[in-house]
Amino acid sequence: MLVIRRRAGESIVIGEGIEIQVIEISGTRVKLGIQAPRQVPVVRKEVQLTAEENRTAAQAASPAALTRWAGLFHQQQES
Amino acid sequence: MPKFQTQHFGRLDYDPRDVFHFPAGLPGFEHERDFLPVIQNSTKPLVFLQSLSRADVCFVALPAHMIEPGYRLQMTPEELDLLGLPPEYPPAIGPDLLCLALLSFHEGAAPTANLLAPMVIHLRNNKGVQAIQADSGYSHQAPLPEPQPEPQPEPEVQPCS
Repeated sequence: MLVIRRRAGESIVIGEGIEIQVIEISGTRVKLGIQAPRQVPVVRKEVQLTAEENRTAAQAASPAALTRWAGLFHQQQES
Repeated sequence: MPKFQTQHFGRLDYDPRDVFHFPAGLPGFEHERDFLPVIQNSTKPLVFLQSLSRADVCFVALPAHMIEPGYRLQMTPEELDLLGLPPEYPPAIGPDLLCLALLSFHEGAAPTANLLAPMVIHLRNNKGVQAIQADSGYSHQAPLPEPQPEPQPEPEVQPCS
């Protein structure tokens, strides 16, 4: 991973047309400004992880497997 | 009574008042807004969230506290607004706020729960939001508690003198 030190107000440029500026640093948080071409999606990493995980989760397991699994989980809760 | 043909449950007749409405959709499913909670005796305590616009989209969920006792929920003012709640509302899981973690089932591996992004539903109006817990340290693939085959008797412990 490329590591670059930047101060508030400074920027980095990625490829053609993507610029990330450090706008403000306060405590443990950094405010970034991002300019990117319209076709380049910019999302927070946790939103992307959630979208990927939602796609996996939407493919529910077979009803038989779920029934078996739920039974085991239920026993465990009661024990 | 409205009906919806589903892939997993066949035809569901439902009461529109039972539907959970997600005004902002979900990441990856931005167009899915309405989900019907389905609880079956054979699969309790699982809660299914069946999309009412796509027959093939059905999530499986468990209350977050069943996976992580003491699960702590944080919500932004924007998320609270989507639930029709004021910005200073304390987002405590309880009779008014349901917090469900979506489960993922993997080939040849134990299922996991998404504690990073639980579904939070305000039960007074059935509005919901998938509230991403940034900075929380919760995992999007938290291991589920392993079902134990038989509870083992506790070994006798001698008190320290």
